[in-house]
Amino acid sequence: MGAVRLAHYGMVAPVQVLLLAFIFVPSLYVVWLSLHQSTYGQIPVFVGFENYAAITADPVFWRAFWNTFLVVNLVVYGELILGFGLAMLMSGPLPGKRYVIALLIAPYAITEVTTVVMWRYMLEPDVGMINYALNGLGLGQLAWWQSRFQALGVASVLAIWQHLPFTFLVLYASITTIPTELREAARVDGATVWSEFRFVILPLVMPALLIALLFRYITAMRLFSEIWLLTGGGPARLTEVLAVYLYRQAFSYHDFGAASATGWMMLLLSLTIAIPYLWHIHRQMFKNA
Amino acid sequence: MPEAPWPQRLLRYALIALACVWSAVPILLVILSSFKQPKAIFEFPPSLFFTPTFDNYVRLWTVWPGFFSNLSSSFIVTCGATLLTVIVSSMAGYVYARYSSRLLTASAFFMVVVRMLPPIIITLPLFPVVNYLRLSDTHILLILLYATFFVSLSTWIMRAFIKQIPFELEEAAIIDGASLRQRLILVVLPVAAQGIAAAAIFVLVFSWNEYIFALIFTTRNAKTAPVVIGEMLGTAEGVEWGVLFAAASIQLLPILVFVVLVQRLLIAGLTAGSVKG
Repeated sequence: MGAVRLAHYGMVAPVQVLLLAFIFVPSLYVVWLSLHQSTYGQIPVFVGFENYAAITADPVFWRAFWNTFLVVNLVVYGELILGFGLAMLMSGPLPGKRYVIALLIAPYAITEVTTVVMWRYMLEPDVGMINYALNGLGLGQLAWWQSRFQALGVASVLAIWQHLPFTFLVLYASITTIPTELREAARVDGATVWSEFRFVILPLVMPALLIALLFRYITAMRLFSEIWLLTGGGPARLTEVLAVYLYRQAFSYHDFGAASATGWMMLLLSLTIAIPYLWHIHRQMFKNA
Repeated sequence: MPEAPWPQRLLRYALIALACVWSAVPILLVILSSFKQPKAIFEFPPSLFFTPTFDNYVRLWTVWPGFFSNLSSSFIVTCGATLLTVIVSSMAGYVYARYSSRLLTASAFFMVVVRMLPPIIITLPLFPVVNYLRLSDTHILLILLYATFFVSLSTWIMRAFIKQIPFELEEAAIIDGASLRQRLILVVLPVAAQGIAAAAIFVLVFSWNEYIFALIFTTRNAKTAPVVIGEMLGTAEGVEWGVLFAAASIQLLPILVFVVLVQRLLIAGLTAGSVKG
């Protein structure tokens, strides 16, 4: 296939320029910003690590951090369990399978904004059908507009609803590549449903499962609209997550230094989670080079 | 595989049906309710059969006349971002599939790493720069941003698809004296059409639905449909659900139909883009 020529680098250049100009350089600039005090119409002043000190001393930041921690774990593992179960259920023959899959992946097509719209409609105080039904059963209602943990729970359900198609599809695609003979052989040898799952399916699906898990950890941490449009982070900033905290610092309080410090912490957190994956990819890539 | 006994089969069908209800019913409620009179929207149990009315759509037209220009904004941005992504990642994907050098490998690894960064943080440094360059509230800015966050995945998908095309096809063209560009456009891309489609889906769906960049970087001219639907939900005078559902239905129907039609490619793209690393 020949040596790499300048023209080939030229063909890669547009992609790399976009990534450098809009992600890499801005990310570095965020570091610089996070070490300065900066707001509108004011020349940034170097303050060292003061922004980091300020946000780590801010109880609202830590609440946002733990809220994010809670929601991310609920969402990622909720999706993983539901997605795996669904992928297993769908793995056999099924009449009209194509249409069933179409229904199952429909939420992927919906904007987060409309997701919030539909769930808020079902959860409106007193009249929303879920709260109306709960009331009717004498269970009281979900007061997500005043309770911190109910709000976070509702936001998690929204996020699971929205992203289940991704987790499901990745696992489903992986399960369907397992040769049927392998599963049949296990049964002929007298494997129970559980041991077929544990010793045949799970090990073969593990790589896909780990990738789905990692990608969802990293993307779930960016959660914003579900909280922003549901509660706005309220009442009294009780339900903010990191992305909402950052947005408020930047665009409500115009404190770009504190927002940048928050952003850089989110970035480090993402990279830390991604390290095992990146390490693996790095080894694979440079082994072949 | 031998047929499972009937109680087990029944349980399986029931669980699958439950999953379909979970994912489809909320969407169905939005569409159905958009054709209901405002006072019928919160009826319990919600009626499935009713005389449909277009009042909500008419009201959307009169109360939020800007919504249709927001939709066209969404359309422009989506087409632009998809086109840009497909063009640049086809070129890059081809090189990554066919050639290798340490520099190329390093740049490919860089592509994977930047995918891990949370997009929201780049709004902070971009905000002043964008204002300075007068790019705020323009379609071109959203097109560039949306494309940027998907070139990596799309390049990866293109690379996987092009790798499957035998190099002999190109060799024949080389013997006929075809240049690199001719080879790419006349030989590789037609065969990789599926890959292009798979690479386009993700950025297309993302651009049509994106909220946070549009919220931060647009105010009027380039404001997209999701931002306006968000505004309708946040009005202080109380939400006008009928109008909101009409707007949401118009926004979601085309993309929903699209996703359903391309589901096979969606699975192929996911497999090529994420699972194989």
